[in-house]
Amino acid sequence: MNASQIIFYLISAFVLGTAVLAVTTRKIFRSAIWLLFSLVGVAGLYFWMQVEFVAAVQIIVYVGGVVVLIIFSIFLTHHSGSELPKTPLKQTIFSMLAVLLGFAFSYNLIAKHGFPTTSDKPFVVPVSAIGEQMLDTKQHGFVLPFEVVSMLLLAAMIGCIVIAMRSMPKGKTIQKQASPINGNGKTQDLPVPTKTMEEETT
Amino acid sequence: MFSLENITDSSQKWLYATFNSTIALVLQCVIVMLLVISLFAVLGLVLVLMERKVAARMQIRLGPNRVGPKGMLQTAADTLKLMMKEGLTPDGADKFLFNLAPFVVMIAGMLIMAPIAFAKGFQIWDINIGVLYVSAVSSVSVIGILMAGWASNNKYSLLGAMRSGAQIVSYELSAGFSIVSIVVLAGSLQMSDIIASQQTGWWLFRGHIPAIIAFVIFIIAVTAETNRAPFDLAEAESELTAGFHTEYSGMKFALFFLAEYINIFIVCAIGATLFLGGWMPLHVGHWKGFNHVMDYIPSSLWFLGKTFFLIFLIMWFRWTFPRLRVDQLLSLEWKYLLPISMFNLLLITLIAIMGWHF
Amino acid sequence: MAFLKQYISEIYQAVSSLLKGMKTTGSYFVRPKEIITQQYPDNRADMKIPERFRGEVVMTHDENNEHACTGCTACELACPNATIKIVTKFDTTPEGKKKKALDTFVYHLELCTMCNLCVEACPTSAIKMAQTFEHSVYDRSQLLKKLNKPGSKLRAGVE
Repeated sequence: MNASQIIFYLISAFVLGTAVLAVTTRKIFRSAIWLLFSLVGVAGLYFWMQVEFVAAVQIIVYVGGVVVLIIFSIFLTHHSGSELPKTPLKQTIFSMLAVLLGFAFSYNLIAKHGFPTTSDKPFVVPVSAIGEQMLDTKQHGFVLPFEVVSMLLLAAMIGCIVIAMRSMPKGKTIQKQASPINGNGKTQDLPVPTKTMEEETT
Repeated sequence: MFSLENITDSSQKWLYATFNSTIALVLQCVIVMLLVISLFAVLGLVLVLMERKVAARMQIRLGPNRVGPKGMLQTAADTLKLMMKEGLTPDGADKFLFNLAPFVVMIAGMLIMAPIAFAKGFQIWDINIGVLYVSAVSSVSVIGILMAGWASNNKYSLLGAMRSGAQIVSYELSAGFSIVSIVVLAGSLQMSDIIASQQTGWWLFRGHIPAIIAFVIFIIAVTAETNRAPFDLAEAESELTAGFHTEYSGMKFALFFLAEYINIFIVCAIGATLFLGGWMPLHVGHWKGFNHVMDYIPSSLWFLGKTFFLIFLIMWFRWTFPRLRVDQLLSLEWKYLLPISMFNLLLITLIAIMGWHF
Repeated sequence: MAFLKQYISEIYQAVSSLLKGMKTTGSYFVRPKEIITQQYPDNRADMKIPERFRGEVVMTHDENNEHACTGCTACELACPNATIKIVTKFDTTPEGKKKKALDTFVYHLELCTMCNLCVEACPTSAIKMAQTFEHSVYDRSQLLKKLNKPGSKLRAGVE
């Protein structure tokens, strides 16, 4: 076993260990943090395999995006500080069965086909090649999926705007909110306190 | 001529000649780690002192002037004080996460150090996705802040952490757009390529007005990302006591404090690399003599000079502008910086395609 | 179109006003001579105290040990927190009439807020504000002061 293999097993153990902790801990915020460590471990695995672009995207998307969103939603929920109730035995048994089934399935696949060992050196993919492939219209080009995904994202963005927009009562225009940053870079309309000092003291 | 490149080269040769390759690699890692940690310590001392001195001068005060000559040892004394203080963990806190959070923030800072080129040929890891790596890893530090805010079990900390999270997530966009605009001009993500592309002139000057707009947006966005005034809502003293690090004391607080200054150094180093040519000396067109004189200044001095100029600029902001409200902060990003930087990116792409830059 | 015009002018005004602020602080940064910090115990000899600084109430005495206080208690009435207590006595004038005069001007420095109302109320300008400020003592009773010097009397001609 050489150093490279040791590092691989260490990272894998880290990923699996934190993943197990993420599902077994009974504090929801800790669960999110263990998930974060697991995802960072996967990124580390990508770095170990010298596919830096994928590793960076893994960190940006999962750590910077998904986990932050998860943490935000935890922050915004009630009673998220208290411990979760113990999982009932039935649920535990069924989830264990599901995990075993999944494991058996993947193990079966790996046992059947195996990982062919290659003597090839780690492949180097410049980022510009990825970009060109992404917008290529010829064979093995990805322009169609790329555009389809962009359409999907556009639809999601429009949906967000529609949800966020205040519904306008008929015949009334929405009172124009003065932009908070006016020419001086200072507040234009500080909320005027409705109560004066005297009213408060009396 | 003084050059850091020679030192690194000769030390590497000596290591590989004396030990076998695995041990040499491990030793190199240890040396780099020690260098980064000592750089952090020195930067912490220097930047805090610089901040206090700059603030004093701008407010017509003297600043620290008692410990050591002209108060130069003030920060060293402060560090000693912080080390001797008790690192208290509150009873109701989630103790594991509470103690982990400062280290997450610190480690994120250390990781971003990797692709920064401090001088010609003096770089820890010239990774081929350079700036992408930087923007990826910098998003980890927000997790540390959220962790600290949650684990403290304190309303102020939680509010500060949420503000900080919203702020960093939104300002990452416009900072990213300004970085991408320079990547478009340089045609590479790798730090060494970006610096090499500025041999004939810095992108700030070569890219016409769009490059200057990108620079201004970058500076504003990174000021917000590092949670500094006028965007320091996450630790707004008058509203939230100290935001996410309210409950921290002693060395754990010092780590947060240090991480703030390290992050400033890092973003300014990235800004200097992207817009001001990193360690590239200032060259003006065909003035042969002038360019020759400029080449004699060591590249590490060029890099540090540019970085500290940007740091000074950010400190200048801090001691001039009043703090924004939360709604102002978000509308500044989403209504002003983001549309402008998107439009600006289009302009820069046009310039890059048509080859209009100098 | 109008929206775009307003948008751009807002940005222009914001940037120019921010630059104006930076110009102010920047100009202070490059002019260290403007620093107004007094390094207090070190520069006791050549310390500059602003003209309007108010340290404590004193009574002015001239070279003949005469003051201008008639004991009218206008200052005592003007004082918002009973800092001043005037003890009067009755002098006999050469004509044989009895006349009210100052016996003791009692001043509680520990109660004084340096509001200057007593000085403004005084009809004869007998008291004024001094610029001393090192008032700390070990015992509170030392802050109770008698402002008229022993043996002093009313200056002739002051009514």
